[in-house]
Amino acid sequence: MVATEPSTGAPLHAVGDARGVRVHVEHLRRVFAMGMPVIDGLDLDIAAGSFVALLGPSGCGKSTLLRLVAGLDRPDGGTVTLEGAPRHARVAFVFQDAHLLPWRNVLENAALPLELSGVDGAARRGEARRALADVGLAEAMGKLPHELSGGMRMRVSLARALVTRPDLLLLDEPFAALDEMTRQRLDDQLRALWVRLGLTVIFVTHSVDEAAYLAERAVVFSARPARVVGDLALDLPRERNAALRTDAAFAKEARALRDALERGGA
Amino acid sequence: MRLPGLLVFCALLGAAPGCAKKGQNSPAGASVVLVLDWVPEPEFGGFYAARETGGFARHGLTVEIRGGGAGVPVVQMVAGGQAQFGIAGADEVLTARARGADVVPIFATFQTSPQGIMAHAARGYRTLGDVLKSGTLAIEPGLPYALFLKKKYGALGARIVPYDGGVARFMVDPTFAQQCFVTAEPLAARKKGGDPQVFLVADEGYDPYTGVVIVKRTWLAEHPEQVKAFVLAAREGWTAYLADPSATNLVMHKLNPAMDAETFASAAAAEEQLTRSEDAKAHGLGSMTRERWETLGVQLAEVGVVDRAPAVGDYFLPLP
Amino acid sequence: MRVLRSLMPPVLALVVIVAVWEALVRVLDVPLYLLPPPSAIARAAATGLGDLALAASVTARAALYGFLLSAVIGTLSAIVLSASRVLERALYPYTVFLQTVPIVAIAPLLVLWFGAGMRAVTVSAFIVSVFPVIANALAGIRSVEPALRDLFRLYGASRFATLTKLEMPSALPSLVTGLRVAAGLAVIGAIVGEFVAGFSDSGGGLGILILSSYRQLRTDLLFAAVFFASMLGLLLFGLVNLTGYFLLSRWHPSARETRAAH
Repeated sequence: MVATEPSTGAPLHAVGDARGVRVHVEHLRRVFAMGMPVIDGLDLDIAAGSFVALLGPSGCGKSTLLRLVAGLDRPDGGTVTLEGAPRHARVAFVFQDAHLLPWRNVLENAALPLELSGVDGAARRGEARRALADVGLAEAMGKLPHELSGGMRMRVSLARALVTRPDLLLLDEPFAALDEMTRQRLDDQLRALWVRLGLTVIFVTHSVDEAAYLAERAVVFSARPARVVGDLALDLPRERNAALRTDAAFAKEARALRDALERGGA
Repeated sequence: MRLPGLLVFCALLGAAPGCAKKGQNSPAGASVVLVLDWVPEPEFGGFYAARETGGFARHGLTVEIRGGGAGVPVVQMVAGGQAQFGIAGADEVLTARARGADVVPIFATFQTSPQGIMAHAARGYRTLGDVLKSGTLAIEPGLPYALFLKKKYGALGARIVPYDGGVARFMVDPTFAQQCFVTAEPLAARKKGGDPQVFLVADEGYDPYTGVVIVKRTWLAEHPEQVKAFVLAAREGWTAYLADPSATNLVMHKLNPAMDAETFASAAAAEEQLTRSEDAKAHGLGSMTRERWETLGVQLAEVGVVDRAPAVGDYFLPLP
Repeated sequence: MRVLRSLMPPVLALVVIVAVWEALVRVLDVPLYLLPPPSAIARAAATGLGDLALAASVTARAALYGFLLSAVIGTLSAIVLSASRVLERALYPYTVFLQTVPIVAIAPLLVLWFGAGMRAVTVSAFIVSVFPVIANALAGIRSVEPALRDLFRLYGASRFATLTKLEMPSALPSLVTGLRVAAGLAVIGAIVGEFVAGFSDSGGGLGILILSSYRQLRTDLLFAAVFFASMLGLLLFGLVNLTGYFLLSRWHPSARETRAAH
């Protein structure tokens, strides 16, 4: 059975017993072809079940960091450790473009990660249906990607990321290509899912407002090579809604982030 | 109004070579072109000899001999005016006439057709009919004598494949037989160590004149003296060549190095008897009779190459 | 109704061309053996219909076999080449050689190796048509978005799963394009092969018919044979197009536009 978005906002998991993993980055180093280090001796610690935004100017290396955490890239020095769930930690990644397989419908796209792991048809489709309902796409399961709007495609991508019930969800500027309204709606949806599922979320963005709205903590990076120039816990109510965006407290946090960015040479 | 102008331009372009040749009268005599239907080989020896010994010049002609290769459209070139004289087979002549090309024959080098089928002697064939019963036979698609043989022998057991102009397959495959010019391919095969046995198509009853010189009928009407001159010079040239081909062979060998000197010599020797006939003895090398043309016309009609046998008088014209 | 309307312009153009051709030949009194008028060609096609149809069916068989060989071997080759960049760099230039080698020159070699007949003609059709399949299939496989490859890697997909679930479907539009080109080329390859290796009697294809009608100066029949050859190429091309449409129309933009237009 599917648990819909709780109207009261009360989380199904308390933050303490979250499913998510702790991410520990130590002396991380990544050098690219020209010999120019993109990440040079970076240390970072992300608590299990937290929602952290990585904020920084374009090209500073935050996407590279995310890929290193995901295991899609190998560091030239240092380590990335995922601690937490006893089994091999499940990592999910959401890209800036939805990157759906155009020849498969929504349901088959969402089920893809389970299919690749060898889960049989009925089971994986059941999980996919659950994930799609979580993002509000229960009616669109038979549609093909070209029939969907940009926002709907991104939601399928999100469902696909959640279908394996991951411990760690990594998002690389996922909503940047969408219009304002859709972006805000998806921000809300993502945050609600995090509250309910309790996994660790690392969200890369260059939008100060988005970082402030979504995360509990924002790590601000300088320009390349990425160095942490700010690490702010965001003092904002747990309940997020549209009204918050015009709140004075929100503006204060946003300003603090902007100052940190400028100090980093953005 | 560009289109009419373009058409006129193209027409002039086509007529131009003919015009140039017609009008020119150099000190050496009228300038004409003879186009051959194969590369320079002993089958054209007499014409080259006529040029080399000054025979053409003596009769007031300057002849440019253009060698050909596979697929040279000799009849089209003569009918179109790009050449004044051309070499073709008698059956080609009648076929072309039936399709609207108004060319006429004036000289027939080979009184017996050198066309033949070459098979492996080791197979022990006694007649051409035996050859056609099995194995592979390479003949150019559409050749009239292939149709004639099919009519004579009924359905052929051999598989018919296109002829590629060499003897490579013959050397490799013992069941292979192919069309040949009796003075060419068999000699090449023998030289390579093969055992060719030749069956002349003429022996089967199909014997068109070969090495026939053709001219456009309208051109003949306008330049009868040049045609006469050509025939006389060709006759002399062939007489000289058949008596002693060595010098002319050297000239042709330079134009066609693919064939060696030894083969040139043996081919020339083999040709001699094919140019002989009662009629040629009486009226000179290269002369032709009405009867043989008539027979050919009937044969071609019988195998369906032409719709009806053409009236001989239309094309067999008395020489000037 | 819309289909009829879209057919109007090319049909009208054809009518005009045929009319002008017929008129020019008559007015300029062009000899039959040089350029026959459309009426003569039509007459030759009518009287020779049995032979033309038989010849066309022979050529069609060889062209189809050659095309299918190209499709299968071409796709497999592309998959092999895509497995490693080193392999691709080492072997790709030789596949280009398949494209550039003049088939007229090596056709006699094919006869020497395979003997005259359907086998040599099919191989000729294959050689001429395989390169576009390899080139396009390879390009299609290489055009897979890196992010999708990342996704597959992230979830531990096997090489085989990546090939069958990601690379092959991604490459399909490119492959269909390559097959379209290969269809026409296979017919050409078959006819050229027949020039050298066809059977001249009843087993002969359009290539043999072209040669023999040329030899007998039956230019009208020759044109008719060439026309049949073009129709054959068009038919095979159309079949590939149709197959591509069915495979792709659900999801690929190019096929979808066609669908939307109708």
